[in-house]
Amino acid sequence: MANKTKYFTGLEELHNTEEFKQAQENEFVEDLPVDEFLSDNSLSESSTGRRDFLKFLGFSVSAATLAACETPVIKSIPYVEKPEEITPGVANWYASTYSDGFDFANILVKTREGRPIYIKGNNKFGVAGGAVNARINASILSLYDTARLTGPMAGGDEISWKKADKEIGKKLTSIVENGGQVRILTNTINSPSTNAAIDGFVAAIGEQAKRVTYDEVSYAAIALANEKTFGKAFVPSYHFDRAKTVVSIAADFQNAWLLSTKYVADFAKTRQPEHGQMSRHFQFESLHSLTGSNADVRVQVKPSEEGLVAAAIYNVIAKAKGITALAINTDAVNARAEKAAKELLATAGESLVVAGTNDVSVQVIVNGINQMLGNYGTTIDHTRATKLGASNDADVMQLAKDMKQGKVDALFVYGCNPSYALPNAADFNAGLAKLKLSVSFAGVADETASKCQYILPDNHYLESWNDFEVITGELAMAQPAISTLFATRQAQESFLKWSGDKRSYLDFIKSNWEANAFGNQSKYASFSDFWNYSVHNGSTRISVSGEALEYTNNYLSEAVQLINTTSKSGGQFELKVYPSVAIGNGSHAANPWLQELPDSVTKVTWDNYITMAPKDVEAFGFNMYIGEKKPASVAKITVKGMTMELPVFPLAGQKPGTIGIALGYGRGANGENIGKAAFQTGEYGGHLTDENGNPMPIGVNVYPLATLSNGAFDYNCYNLSVEATDKEFPLAATQTHHTVMGRESVVKETSLGTFLSAPKETYNAPNTLLVHEGDSMVHKDVKEIDLWEQHPVENIGHRWGLSIDLSTCIGCNACVTACHTENNVPVVGKDEVRRSRDMHWLRIDRYFSSEEEAVREAGGDFDYLKMENPEDNPRTVYMPMMCQHCNHAPCETVCPVAATTHSNEGLNQMTYNRCIGTRYCANNCPYKVRRFNWFNYKAYKKFTEVNPSQSELGRMVLNPDVAVRSRGVMEKCSMCVQKIQAGKLAAKKAGEPVKDGDIQTACSETCPTNAITFGDLNDKESEISKKSQGKRAYSSLEEVGTRPNVYYQVKVRNINEVEA
Amino acid sequence: MFKRNFNPVKNLLVSGLLFVAFGLTGKVLAQDGAALFKGNCASCHKPTTEVLTGPGLKGVRERWEGRENLLYEWIRNPQKVIDSGDPYVKALVEEYASAGIMTPQAVTNEEIDAILDYVEAYTPPKREKKDDDQLAANEEGGSNATTWLLVLAGILLIIIFSVAGTRRSLSEVLRAKEGEETETNYTYWDTVKQWMWHNKVLTSIIVIVLLVMGAVDTWDRLAGIGVYKGYQPEQPIAFSHKVHAGQNEINCVYCHSGAEKSKHAGIPSVNVCMNCHKAVSEGTNTGKEEIAKIYDAIGFDPETKTYIEGYEQKPVKWVKVHNLPDHVYFNHSQHVTVGQVECETCHGEVKELTVGKQNETLTMGWCIDCHNKTEVQMAGNGYYDEIHARLTTKELKKYLEDEKISVKDLGGWECAKCHY
Repeated sequence: MANKTKYFTGLEELHNTEEFKQAQENEFVEDLPVDEFLSDNSLSESSTGRRDFLKFLGFSVSAATLAACETPVIKSIPYVEKPEEITPGVANWYASTYSDGFDFANILVKTREGRPIYIKGNNKFGVAGGAVNARINASILSLYDTARLTGPMAGGDEISWKKADKEIGKKLTSIVENGGQVRILTNTINSPSTNAAIDGFVAAIGEQAKRVTYDEVSYAAIALANEKTFGKAFVPSYHFDRAKTVVSIAADFQNAWLLSTKYVADFAKTRQPEHGQMSRHFQFESLHSLTGSNADVRVQVKPSEEGLVAAAIYNVIAKAKGITALAINTDAVNARAEKAAKELLATAGESLVVAGTNDVSVQVIVNGINQMLGNYGTTIDHTRATKLGASNDADVMQLAKDMKQGKVDALFVYGCNPSYALPNAADFNAGLAKLKLSVSFAGVADETASKCQYILPDNHYLESWNDFEVITGELAMAQPAISTLFATRQAQESFLKWSGDKRSYLDFIKSNWEANAFGNQSKYASFSDFWNYSVHNGSTRISVSGEALEYTNNYLSEAVQLINTTSKSGGQFELKVYPSVAIGNGSHAANPWLQELPDSVTKVTWDNYITMAPKDVEAFGFNMYIGEKKPASVAKITVKGMTMELPVFPLAGQKPGTIGIALGYGRGANGENIGKAAFQTGEYGGHLTDENGNPMPIGVNVYPLATLSNGAFDYNCYNLSVEATDKEFPLAATQTHHTVMGRESVVKETSLGTFLSAPKETYNAPNTLLVHEGDSMVHKDVKEIDLWEQHPVENIGHRWGLSIDLSTCIGCNACVTACHTENNVPVVGKDEVRRSRDMHWLRIDRYFSSEEEAVREAGGDFDYLKMENPEDNPRTVYMPMMCQHCNHAPCETVCPVAATTHSNEGLNQMTYNRCIGTRYCANNCPYKVRRFNWFNYKAYKKFTEVNPSQSELGRMVLNPDVAVRSRGVMEKCSMCVQKIQAGKLAAKKAGEPVKDGDIQTACSETCPTNAITFGDLNDKESEISKKSQGKRAYSSLEEVGTRPNVYYQVKVRNINEVEA
Repeated sequence: MFKRNFNPVKNLLVSGLLFVAFGLTGKVLAQDGAALFKGNCASCHKPTTEVLTGPGLKGVRERWEGRENLLYEWIRNPQKVIDSGDPYVKALVEEYASAGIMTPQAVTNEEIDAILDYVEAYTPPKREKKDDDQLAANEEGGSNATTWLLVLAGILLIIIFSVAGTRRSLSEVLRAKEGEETETNYTYWDTVKQWMWHNKVLTSIIVIVLLVMGAVDTWDRLAGIGVYKGYQPEQPIAFSHKVHAGQNEINCVYCHSGAEKSKHAGIPSVNVCMNCHKAVSEGTNTGKEEIAKIYDAIGFDPETKTYIEGYEQKPVKWVKVHNLPDHVYFNHSQHVTVGQVECETCHGEVKELTVGKQNETLTMGWCIDCHNKTEVQMAGNGYYDEIHARLTTKELKKYLEDEKISVKDLGGWECAKCHY
């Protein structure tokens, strides 16, 4: 049989496109950036002749030489009074908490010389199990945002705090005396002391003051449904670690749904194949969400069918339990929902059903399912309820209307951005202008704040004392890691001051804890101990009392009717707006680290787009392949009388007939200064501007598409019209191919059944090569074939290695931001990412399965072109890819100046100061993990808007232990060599061996699912050593013979009995 | 008996015996007394009777006669002793009220004895002024010699030119006398050219030698760009290392405390200076002028000996002497704590210097040269023991048999040990 294997350089060759044919005729396939420099108009304007140029050259060379002889005078300024805990050059860690109402994590903040520079999860204390996500990790950069307000503002002018207090006090008094209405609009606040401070302020005003709670991304339906089902509005705590079957109806609980950090950490505990059993995860969704891509069984349903699915599952279980079924025809989804329902039944009491639909009717049915399964008390806890999602969506809509009608006189806005995110923002904005007093506590002059009369900038969370109680009885503490950078004041201080409380907020928290928390615990005898340990640990647990729940199914029939109506209202196209992995609810829109973070599933950076099923994309005739030279087609959508135009991204797995658009974009649409990175930048730097001269926002704000339905914001939109336009728009994706093209040596996966029963060779066969041996041809294990001599690193000293478990990796990107922060990785902006010049040291490759792969595996006649097409509902693998630190590194042998060499600890070292930038190494790297500094990112004008290192303030986040690379040098993952060196030094100083786990890389310590393990392969007792010997361990592209020190663990899916 | 019939002779005897005993058991050696004194006491006390921040320690045993146990206690926990209400202690505290109460020291009785033994045996070294002068004279002599050589060369050149000129005029006169045609308008350069034409070989050799010398010199100069050996910038305060580290024998790490635990040795903050200068307001060399600068920085009134409330402190802007490029990671604690490298190895005899000076080239060649020569301090370090235990096979064990393991052997020449 002839060898059918054919190799090609990329999709362009495969499709033999015009561009490819053209490119082949050129010497360099890629455009060299020469054009870019030459296209700089200022160059042709120059009147310098050749002779002058030579003169300048000669002069500047000699001047530079002379200047170099001068000793630079560097000042060194010590503290006048050095704080006892600070030693310059030694990092201090502080336990704190991140909680913005949308994301929550118990964190540890690393400070150097008093500057916070890095955040990681607190894996010893707190509820989130040490998990953080990319947004929390990158939030440290917002401390050093140049858009932050430096002091209180009144009508666009800076004023003093004293004056602001006086003026606001005067206005407020007159409003209250004249019987005016005061509203305090906040997001869901789970801080007991903040709530107490605001309540104190409300009480000081009296009955004319009311609080309104509003979250941009609302979960209001859950509490409302519980009120209908149990007579009590609460959001329960979910225990994903106790569930054997998890059914999620469009709940993206691994990305952004309630307490997602905790769910990710908990759920990962049930996803360890070595334990002999794994949980099974069913996901019903229209979008291809992060959670859906990790599900064992992913079922495509339209947004309008979400209620039907819940009803169908309900009916199957009800039938088995002898309970009255719901009077609804669920035939449309029965086939899809049945398997999940049966699995749930089989694991009743150890299962969990959650729904992301913010619709009371769906949530009521989900409650009914969980009640029938007996999940309350096992996987669902109502006594330790979650204090998130307390948004009162109807209230806030009413508030906007009242404001417009002039019924409200004063408004205080804290922690939310209604002018941007409210569906009836127009009413709200009109009302805002009518207010006698409007005060915002936002740290930047965002959409709402810039319309308020006063902005009293709140401290950054890293500058603040605060307490939190995200789960009832689970107290968390936030302590400042730096004193205030600017003349800001914590909002709570303002509330206390205005309500006549003379205490500082810290004292207020203390007395609050002494009164309310201290008595509910028995661990500490004195309050000072209790307080000190709580601050030190960042959290503490107190006892709570709970009442039993009483279930009632009164509302079910009404819910069924609503669902029935919804299921018929879909129309030709349905839309779901969702918080994306990087930008979330939009509050991080100005964070360049997050803007440049590729979306987990689409791998697109810096943009907002419509995701559409490839079939639909084809039907419209939109561009299917989006790459450097292939922009995306722009579609126009019309719904609820609004039209918006966005580029279309064909996303495998998206339910045909549905589209998805991420929330949180289109910020600063009226030129609000929310941060430089939130706006579109031109090819040669500078913001693109609209006709008014305002910078153009990235993407479109889709919050107005949410509808208030049955008391909660519904993020599903029906009856959408989608039209093609003749416009195109470039998208910058870090990965433009979709499948692994059947190359099993890259990713390996198997089912749990196979893993448990079959020998290793079945699912993790060693790679063999056909070689001559004597007269015959034999298959030989690639490990036995070697061109090079071994590096003498086995058994001698350390040999550092990583193990990455593809089973537990969920592609959440937290490791990418952690690596970005730790290693001073530059931000390069959309245009450079589009040219594949992104600088991430660690990327996460996402591969979809393809039907043609299965054909190839079966030995059938297959087509490479088809193999690139993912299935309609593909399985997904996430593969974190960084420098593999090969023991036989192809990069090392081609470096002409020995700038990349092997260390005796197994590391592939990159020496920037020796590199001359030939890029041979990058070309020779089979893993494509080397990054070249094409520009001086920290100074060149193209990157002024995107690179935080270009501002004095932004530079403060840089890690002083890692060099900032200059133009023309190669860089790549160093396996956090600075952390290895620091860990070894600590061990040597203590005179003790390095303890396994004491040294962690940024990615391994950040991974919320512990999918990444770092350690010493020569330490026979270490976890990494055992994992590298495990049954699932393999090396990527093993046949190349690079002998990586990074091991991957075969992905195991729990799909043996339910193969879809 | 020891307590009741105390007298100095007996005390000496006993401490002598103790000294012998400890010498034998190897617990606290006499030389440790010196080290302990420098580490714990020297920043506030002198081993003579001279008062620094605290009283001079010479004769402290006599002064505390009859209170030996109290003295031990006092050194370890002064507050406790004050609270005990001993009259001598009370008087002492009052006398040195401005310096504050002594900082508690973590030392054992044996260590205290060793310190006191050292103090008793201490004789101040004679000021070797002569040597200093000699040194200065030599240095001057060195520079003078060059000047003199240049002056001499200049004079010689003038003589050569004038003699040559005279010779030419004379020969012209002679020619004119003899009626020959005078070769006028001969410049010096023409003469030289003529000479060169007649001595081609010699000229070529001279030219080649000059070129080679020029090339070597240019290369040296280029290689010296960025090398600032001997850099000794002027500092905002005329702080003298000679007085502090030399005469007063203050341990380097008392002020540069980061050296043992951080990558930076650190420049002491003003509050460290104030530990002593709260009491010492007049220096030996510069009087009150320079010390006043630290008072100005922190806000201290030397008259009333109190800190000024609400003072806006002014940090001292020192000039950094040792500058490494940004692409180098250097960690003091690695070298000082783990490698047990003496400060002097890199920084030279700072004790002899008034102003801080870069003693070495700080080039990469200098670094790796030391990494090549220096042995790793492995004895008693569990880290290295465990690493050695990993060498399982006989083949690998050979690494242990080598008598010397240099830093280079353990990867001290690898790029990513310093560059990342």
